[in-house]
Amino acid sequence: MATETKNLHRKGESFIPTHCSYCGMQCGMNIRVDDATGNVVGIEPRYEWPVNQGRLCPKGVTAYQQVEHPDRILRPLIKRNGKFIEASWEEAYDLIERKFKEIATKYGKDALGVYGGVSMTNEKCYLVGKYARVALGTKHIDYNGRYCMSSAAGGFNATLGMDRGSTLPWPDLLHSDCFFLAGSNTAECHPTSITWFWRGRDRGAKLIVADPRETPTARIADVHLDLKPGTDSALANGIAHILIKEGYVDNEYVAQRVNGFEDLEKMVERFTPEYTSRLTGVAQEKIIKAAHMYGEAEKSVVMFARGVEQQRKGVDNVGSYTNLALIRGQIGKFASGVATFTGQGNGQGGREHGQKADLLPGYRKLTEPKAVQYISQVWGIDPAEMPGPGVSAYEMLDSIHQGTVRAMHVICSNPAVSSPNAQHVWKALEKLEFLVVNDFFLSETAEFADVVLPTTTWAEDEGTTTNTEGRVIKINQIRKPAGESKPDWQILSEIAARMDRGKHFEYENAEQIFNELRVASKGGKADYYGITYEKIEKQQGVFWPCPDLDHPGTPYVYQDSFPTPDGKANLRVVDWQEAGEIQSKEFPEILTTGRVVFHYLSGNQTRRIDFLMEKCPEPYAEMHPEMASKYNLQDGEEVELETRRAKMKLKVRLTKAIRKDTVFVPYHWGKELSINQLTNPCLDPVSRMPEFKVCAVRLRKS
Amino acid sequence: MNRVLYLEFERCIGCRACQAACRECGGHDAKERNYVEYIDFMESRQTFPMMCMHCKDPACARVCPANAIQITKDGVVLSAMEEKCIGCRNCTFGCPFGIPKFDFEKNIMYKCDMCYERTSQDISPMCASVCPSEAIRFIGFEEMMELRRKRAQSNLLQGKKPTEQNKWNFVPETFGVYTE
Repeated sequence: MATETKNLHRKGESFIPTHCSYCGMQCGMNIRVDDATGNVVGIEPRYEWPVNQGRLCPKGVTAYQQVEHPDRILRPLIKRNGKFIEASWEEAYDLIERKFKEIATKYGKDALGVYGGVSMTNEKCYLVGKYARVALGTKHIDYNGRYCMSSAAGGFNATLGMDRGSTLPWPDLLHSDCFFLAGSNTAECHPTSITWFWRGRDRGAKLIVADPRETPTARIADVHLDLKPGTDSALANGIAHILIKEGYVDNEYVAQRVNGFEDLEKMVERFTPEYTSRLTGVAQEKIIKAAHMYGEAEKSVVMFARGVEQQRKGVDNVGSYTNLALIRGQIGKFASGVATFTGQGNGQGGREHGQKADLLPGYRKLTEPKAVQYISQVWGIDPAEMPGPGVSAYEMLDSIHQGTVRAMHVICSNPAVSSPNAQHVWKALEKLEFLVVNDFFLSETAEFADVVLPTTTWAEDEGTTTNTEGRVIKINQIRKPAGESKPDWQILSEIAARMDRGKHFEYENAEQIFNELRVASKGGKADYYGITYEKIEKQQGVFWPCPDLDHPGTPYVYQDSFPTPDGKANLRVVDWQEAGEIQSKEFPEILTTGRVVFHYLSGNQTRRIDFLMEKCPEPYAEMHPEMASKYNLQDGEEVELETRRAKMKLKVRLTKAIRKDTVFVPYHWGKELSINQLTNPCLDPVSRMPEFKVCAVRLRKS
Repeated sequence: MNRVLYLEFERCIGCRACQAACRECGGHDAKERNYVEYIDFMESRQTFPMMCMHCKDPACARVCPANAIQITKDGVVLSAMEEKCIGCRNCTFGCPFGIPKFDFEKNIMYKCDMCYERTSQDISPMCASVCPSEAIRFIGFEEMMELRRKRAQSNLLQGKKPTEQNKWNFVPETFGVYTE
């Protein structure tokens, strides 16, 4: 489909093909390198990559600018008298060794916490889990994907038996007849996916978008379901009600492959269009129209993102939307199914290989003795040494206040910005006796640190990531590490050696780690055993599961059966529940947070890039003019937002493209500009995902 | 040049990748030379890419007293020549689309040159090659003629859609520059 094939080749420069450092689309790109100096100088489109065919978003276009950025940390930093002083690696390691051993002896090994991230390669994510459990011997490990993908994981695991973000490859979307996007502002958060929808529209495919804002994605939708934040599962149940009532159910598929249909039928009985409309605030006609569009489509895709997942009932929301695809018999077929848009670059792979508090590599459960046995053998440790399951990210940060965790190693993540109830988290980080942060820019979290270790950017190391489709792809090394920075796997291995566990961490390059990961994941749900670097190059990525070397990978999962005990999918039959915090007299409006196209997650990278900062320098409070007039606010004036946790001041931005009871604020800024000071840390009971998307707020003209 | 820059406003998602990419093009001096505007942010998030039209008879070149704005044989209207530009800014007032911009530091006008380094070799300009929504495309004449006869799939801002009977109100019969 890509009409373009030619690149401009400049004298004295060469290209190295790789992928973007940001979101889960992992768009292919060519990085331009100056032959004489070896420095990164720019980008060129990479047309042959099937997922984006050369197209990029503004973050992708400017991603290379991180590599030679003047803000890079190039030497280890040690805090002395409140100031960071440059130090040698030896000094930094000496201090880390002394402190970690001191704290482990004094309070036990579980007083050490590891907070990982998934903007890293699979090799690094795998090693973070091993480092926590083998080198430090602590059960306290979790990662920032807890705030991102955990609800999708919980929902898919419960309903389909396995957590792979997408049941179909992206280029298939070209042939789908209906797209149902829930809680996803695709145009801004995964812009290179939009082409597939627009091209589908050119064919006459229908687009349904459920979102409280009329985002650039929803603007073009055939039906825009402008629901009240926090009412997703009610909406999904309402649509299921119409599908069942009007005979859109694929009875044969349901009979053969799905459990719990009768229960679902009984439960959604109540969700008439009228009742659903009352709960969600969406006009009845729109709900009916959307259900008909979705029901009539021969090949349809339900896709969702953080909008439905970052809620107290995130797992239920994911399950409720997945129900729609199941009763229509859409899962396991060409150009149809369910998918979640992965937020972080390696949000898919990073959650499969042991960074989660309760999981071991290959998506094995820590609570299963067999799994512990197998991984202990791969790691060469005694199964009795394997720590048990820990707690989720926010709970781990919270436990600092109780003195459970006293030292922490944060690896390529910025919880000071991305955690809910941020002020509480800042106090926790201050309270830590010892904090080590790996990063290549001085993030808001790194400012709390006692030691900052300079790591490499994605262009200075190689490895694999797993994109939003479940396709394992290869990140290539573009240049040698800048200054004295080292790749994370090397840092972790060297600290492990200092903790007297060096013999378990003898690696010379990323490929060795990948080969160990392959063995560790063998036989697990996320089986990477048959994937090799060569195969990835040859096949333009390999879809997991790939159990042996002759296996081509699995682009379509669940074609014949589901990986559940009886081989059938389980419909998630859950009644609707209110959000954790609802509007009251005292806090009459709803606050929701999200992203803008110019920034990525905590903004630690994108806030340093000129173009992106020029286009979006600060957060704002987006609201409907009718809401603004209630508080006598004009466009551009300052408003004070206050929730039960904190208050902050923001500039008002008026647009009619948002619900009249909802304020939207992007979350990419730290310190006093962090909207996460206000968000609610109420957690999903299954996934432990905080409710970022809904809380009650009051406004005051400041 | 046997291809044209084809814009489809309804597809634009306002991501401004075209602008970021414009800065990356050789000789663009890290300044974007195309613009993305909201039609009316209060009403809708609809945006549109504002590109240089590379007019057949460009006002900017016509009002330039120093003849600093050259037009190539294939119809591309180039940025001001450093040797000739006198910094009078006539072009910035002359252009009805507001495309030429003035660099006060260097005292010279700069504008889109359709990535001439690329397009002269039949390589897509940066903006079109990265545009994630295909609002900006660099396509052959035949494909362009075929595309513009199609019904637009998306609502325009006023909620009106072109129909077979009135699509000519939406798509001008001839536009832009095309030379054999």
